[in-house]
Amino acid sequence: MTMDCESVRRTLGAWLDGEVSEKESREIRAHVEACPSCRAERSRLERLQFVLRAALKEGASKVTFESFWHGIERRISQGRVRHREFWDWLRPVILPRRLAWAIPVTVVCVLAVLFAEQFFFGLGWGPRSNVAAVESIDGHGFNLALLRESETKTTVIWLFEDEEEDEPAPEAASTDASL
Amino acid sequence: MNRLQKLPRLTLLCSLLLVGLSAPLGAAEKAPQGLHLRIGTILASNESEDFDPKLSRMKNQLEVIKYSSYRLIKEEVQKVQWRVNAVFEVPGGRSLVILPQEYRNQRLALKVRLLQGDKPLVDTTVRLRNRGYFLLGGPAHEGGVLILSIFAMTP
Repeated sequence: MTMDCESVRRTLGAWLDGEVSEKESREIRAHVEACPSCRAERSRLERLQFVLRAALKEGASKVTFESFWHGIERRISQGRVRHREFWDWLRPVILPRRLAWAIPVTVVCVLAVLFAEQFFFGLGWGPRSNVAAVESIDGHGFNLALLRESETKTTVIWLFEDEEEDEPAPEAASTDASL
Repeated sequence: MNRLQKLPRLTLLCSLLLVGLSAPLGAAEKAPQGLHLRIGTILASNESEDFDPKLSRMKNQLEVIKYSSYRLIKEEVQKVQWRVNAVFEVPGGRSLVILPQEYRNQRLALKVRLLQGDKPLVDTTVRLRNRGYFLLGGPAHEGGVLILSIFAMTP
């Protein structure tokens, strides 16, 4: 497949820099040798490259790299100092002896949080759950009401003693209770 | 290097210590030795609007029972053994007899009897979650009614 002028000129710079494949290079070379305008374009690019290289060479020889290297060395040495300071700061924290204690101490703290509620039972902490299941109930002739309130999960067993002596039944028990 | 050599030994020692400490906790969960019962006797009435501050943690639960005044008149805690009756005196010549029956699936089964002298008033079996409670109310007392809060937990 032969290349046209447009695609050759588009890749001419890369070809001169040796950045195209061998097959593509052969096709470009064949086209350039046969095409006068592309050959002229190649010559123009080669001259431009020559001028640029000459200018760069001349300019680079005037640059003094001494101060540049000094700057790099200074930055490297500063980096080492900072690294050492950081290590000095970190070392006491991660000393093996302290690290060995840190693991069980963390576990003890977690256990303490988990069992704290149990230990504080005697200090008036509230119950964790008031869900109750009534398996059997016998009023021995008295009326009983079993109330379960869903919001607070409260279970109430209510005893109705003799009517003459009774207090009025609580409103909730009389309306929501199930026997 | 010396410290590095000590690290495994220290970690092992601390781990053994932890296992030793946590073993009783695990054992208690599996086979609790007895249980704590806490019986609160509350007088509920409509004679005032007073709410006993000692009952503040139960306020939401007590509001289910529509009285205007609640006062804690007695609270008793007993550590009891399984399958052994525990007796709690209740004002008005009553008594509450609780028989802890079993502990299974994190739940406590209690047989609860309320007596007026020797006469049984209520006989019920209730299964509670550990640290759970329920209310038993209704007996008349001093112009109001008594509400018993029955709370149970394993040690």
